Amino acid sequence: MSRLRTLAPVIGLVVFFALWEAFVRVREVRPFVLAAPSDILRYINRAPRDFFDASLVTAQQALIGFVGALLVSIVIASPLAAWNFLERAAQPVLILVQVAPFVAYISSVVLWLGSGDPPARFMAGLICLPGFVFAAVAGMRSADPASRELFASVDASRWQVLWRLRLPSAMPSLFTTARLNVGLALVVAYLVEGSNFADEGLGAIGKRALGQTIGDAVWATVFCMVVLGTLGLVVIGLLEKWLLHWHASQRSGAPSATQRAAR
Amino acid sequence: MFTAEGAAIELDQVAKRFGALPVVASTSLQIQPGTFVSLLGPSGCGKSTLLRMVAGLESSTHGTVTIDAASPSAARRLKQVAMVPQQPGLLPWRNVQANARLLLDVNPRTTPQHHPDPRELLAEVGLGDFLAAFPHQLSGGMQQRVALVRGFALGAPLILMDEPFAALDEITRAEMRELLARLLQQHPATVLFVTHSITEAVHLSDRVLVFSPRPATIVADIAVPTERPRPSDPEDHPAFIALCAEVRHRLHQGMGR
Repeated sequence: MSRLRTLAPVIGLVVFFALWEAFVRVREVRPFVLAAPSDILRYINRAPRDFFDASLVTAQQALIGFVGALLVSIVIASPLAAWNFLERAAQPVLILVQVAPFVAYISSVVLWLGSGDPPARFMAGLICLPGFVFAAVAGMRSADPASRELFASVDASRWQVLWRLRLPSAMPSLFTTARLNVGLALVVAYLVEGSNFADEGLGAIGKRALGQTIGDAVWATVFCMVVLGTLGLVVIGLLEKWLLHWHASQRSGAPSATQRAAR
Repeated sequence: MFTAEGAAIELDQVAKRFGALPVVASTSLQIQPGTFVSLLGPSGCGKSTLLRMVAGLESSTHGTVTIDAASPSAARRLKQVAMVPQQPGLLPWRNVQANARLLLDVNPRTTPQHHPDPRELLAEVGLGDFLAAFPHQLSGGMQQRVALVRGFALGAPLILMDEPFAALDEITRAEMRELLARLLQQHPATVLFVTHSITEAVHLSDRVLVFSPRPATIVADIAVPTERPRPSDPEDHPAFIALCAEVRHRLHQGMGR
């Protein structure tokens, strides 16, 4: 049963691709509008190495941005969670980052940071940041008042409260946001790769293919993005299982093995 | 300065107001080391505020609290005060053993050198087989036992309990009373125990302080002379029933009935 649960995303993906294939075949959709998965796979198979390398580049940009945003958000969130005024003051700035259409200022960022990796990583991080900050602040605030009182009763330092109480309390909401941000980081990395004058990454392939209206190539990069996103979700799911085993979200109805042993 | 048998506590004309609202009226009180004192009163009367002032979590508007000649905040910094709150307040990501150690692990520099071993304490309260279990796997009574152990593990001369058994069912409560009495025989300390239950107060205490409605004033200070260890079925003893009746009358008098 548990093996089936682990495989669930893969099964979902297979079903999705089967429906996609059927749709394209039955409706006879033109390749540029929507390529069939079998055609996409055939196209990728012509130069698998290129797509693999490009996927690695994009994954790396997204990962660095994602992890950077997570770390920065924790640094930013701890004073915001402790001080209401600061949170209110920071909110408009975070919203601004979130709602400003980043495609509009990508070229400015490229001018500022130069071509290649830095703007892709920076933008992926920047766009992930507001979600992580909101999640971290809300999570840190959710720390049990009884526990906070307990920490105060032994004169715990701010650092101790952050490390031993607030941060673990923020983990469930951070994981929820991480699921959203995986996709976001990938998409932003892809888009910046299309505008950073670099030849690497899925975004660069996609941009070139769009210019030459090669439908199969564009859809091949999309296919690779789907695979990357799914892998990202699987990794987060595994981390969650490991780090969040104590949380209600990780428990199914039946008692776990340890629970039965404990009784 | 701090004795192994418990801390001496002195309240000298301690009063507290929140803005214009008087919560605790001028209260003076002396508690001998090792005494178990219950604070009994109607809900919202300010007895929890009094407890928090002794813990150094709330400052008094007037008067001073001393714990073995030190201020509450000094005692708190030296981890001389152990709290057992109404909700167990266990951290869900720590297992039973790690939760029992929590107050030792936080600010480890000020942890006293001599303190009971949390694992032994857990065994004493019957949780020896649950060291690796997580809070969500425990019943409410078991969680509160871990919270008790967490308090005792500090080896503090003063233990403050704010209705620690209020959320438990009657059967578990009786069990917990026994457990607490047993733990205190092994690991003596001065205890301030806030409660709404007259029988609980009389069963556990050396002294029962009866409070009036807000602002809190002590309307009666009743000694419970029964020797320890006390019988586990105190309701069978006429002296116990008489004491409970006296406490109840004083409580109702204080409430103006």
